Amino acid sequence: MMRQSTGEKAFQWINYMVLAAAAATMITPLLHLLAMSFSSPIAADSKQVFLFPVDFTTASWEQILQNGELWRSFGITLFITVAGTLISMLFSIMTAFPLSRKDFWLRRPVMLGIVITMIFNAPMIPFFLTVRELGMMNSLWALIIPGVIGTFNMIIIRTFFMGIPKELDDSARIDGCHEFRLLFQIYLPLSKPVLATVGLFYAVGYWNTFQRAVLFIRDPEKWPLQMKLRAYLTSPEELAAVNMFLGDYNFNTTTLKAATIIFATLPIIMVYPYLQKYFVKGSLLGSLKE
Amino acid sequence: MSTAPVPAEQGQPAHTEARTERQTKNRILSHLRKQWMLYLMIAPGIVYYIVFKYVPLAGSMIAFQNYQIFNGIQGSPWVGFDNFIYLFTYPDFYIVLRNTALIALYQLVFGFPAPIILALLFNEVRLMLAKRTLQSLFYLPHFLSWVVVGGIVFELLSSQGMVNQLRGLFGLEPILFMQQEGFFRSIVVVSGIWKEVGWGTIIYLAAIAGINPNLYEAAVMDGANRWKQIMYITIPSMAPTILVLFLLNIGNFLELGFDQIYNLLTPMTYSVGDIIETYVYRAGVLQGQYSVTTAIGLFQSVIGFVLLYIFNRLARKSEQGLW
Repeated sequence: MMRQSTGEKAFQWINYMVLAAAAATMITPLLHLLAMSFSSPIAADSKQVFLFPVDFTTASWEQILQNGELWRSFGITLFITVAGTLISMLFSIMTAFPLSRKDFWLRRPVMLGIVITMIFNAPMIPFFLTVRELGMMNSLWALIIPGVIGTFNMIIIRTFFMGIPKELDDSARIDGCHEFRLLFQIYLPLSKPVLATVGLFYAVGYWNTFQRAVLFIRDPEKWPLQMKLRAYLTSPEELAAVNMFLGDYNFNTTTLKAATIIFATLPIIMVYPYLQKYFVKGSLLGSLKE
Repeated sequence: MSTAPVPAEQGQPAHTEARTERQTKNRILSHLRKQWMLYLMIAPGIVYYIVFKYVPLAGSMIAFQNYQIFNGIQGSPWVGFDNFIYLFTYPDFYIVLRNTALIALYQLVFGFPAPIILALLFNEVRLMLAKRTLQSLFYLPHFLSWVVVGGIVFELLSSQGMVNQLRGLFGLEPILFMQQEGFFRSIVVVSGIWKEVGWGTIIYLAAIAGINPNLYEAAVMDGANRWKQIMYITIPSMAPTILVLFLLNIGNFLELGFDQIYNLLTPMTYSVGDIIETYVYRAGVLQGQYSVTTAIGLFQSVIGFVLLYIFNRLARKSEQGLW
């Protein structure tokens, strides 16, 4: 080990400090909102709350957890996350497998056709008109089907499949194994880590889905969580289960908004440790190999 | 396999032709017999890409029509470049274009280098535990939706928010950041960096990890300090990755992302923050001006492609481009 010069030591310290300060800004806003959601309205509006609740109260949480509409959009988002992730995985796997096979004749043309769509995005209005033509307006399918395959995710799976030794295919085929069984009984069990990564990417994508909901879901009763959250952030008084202007309550729009933002983020925070385990490796598999 | 009778007068060449034709046919048949399941498997995927990617691309032709929803593409009259002429004589278009181009430029100048710098800083962290902890914190915002991040930004910058709380500590007057035009673009750029900078380092860290350690050893023998090692080994080794990401970025130059702007924009900041995507949404989806807004979308794609083409040529001159 080389001896470090004074300048290098100083740099190391400054580097740690800069990174620690920047990292603190990543988590502080969420902690601040969490503290706000458990604080009294007076404390929240008089700039007393920083990272810890002041005049601890659960009044805001009691209000939003009683809010049936919020739970309904939570349920809708849960449904599209679970159903969407399953459907997306199925479509992506079935598209990736033939494209990973060197002996599949359409591999190159189809791959080229797909990569072109990464450079030329479908413009918003013709995309909107296409989905509407298909009768998906105000249908939850509009949040799933029009983006069912994420090209990047599909390529991650394909790249992984390409790394599985071909000797397996041959021995399986000698045993009379057909393509579907080869995929589902031999390839998929070997691909668990990458499937977990991609599944989590899809799940987060569905959980956070917003633009498609803005475009296709006009009926407020079918709004997913992010749409509902956006609506509440602009008119937070609707969050309360009671009329908050009649009477003296231990919450206000500030604390309600804070609680709702945390509510909508909680599932992401809960899966984050699992996400972390996989996503770094997974996101690097996405580089195109040919 | 039975041989089909070949007419004598056609002679030898015709005979081989028929045979090769038959061989090709047989090859195709045996290929299909072996692999028909692969075609079945990929069919839903191909249908998806055609219906939701290529049909809308082809649907861009309504930019040259006066598209009426009840007549469809077949029934709507063609108007040539009228929609584009309308656009280029319409003052609001220039405001929207200017906003989009300025924010895109700021994001390129400040947002693009941010993950590169952060990756270099991460690379200097020697303690693995510290490195991992820092990375976990930096990756987190990537997974939050723009609705949540927008909510956080509005909350932090409100009159009693955390930022004004800190200003208060120094005896400064509170500022209403979100309602003032002067701050909007900076807020967009900073919030964009906040959300994506950590995630963006992953690919650069991989590029750094791929550098041959012998290079550093040789440099140390020659007396290069850390700074020189970064300047003459790490950064040049990252250059190809940086270039590829830059080109991909340039291709989508004017596509800023609907979610971010939509969730930060208020009518008070339209004059500086209304971008192509938010404008197309309001004028197209909400007000039904389909043809004109598709013309904007087409214009946007053409600009992106032209920029990509130019920069790819420049890149090929020095190193290598995307194609």
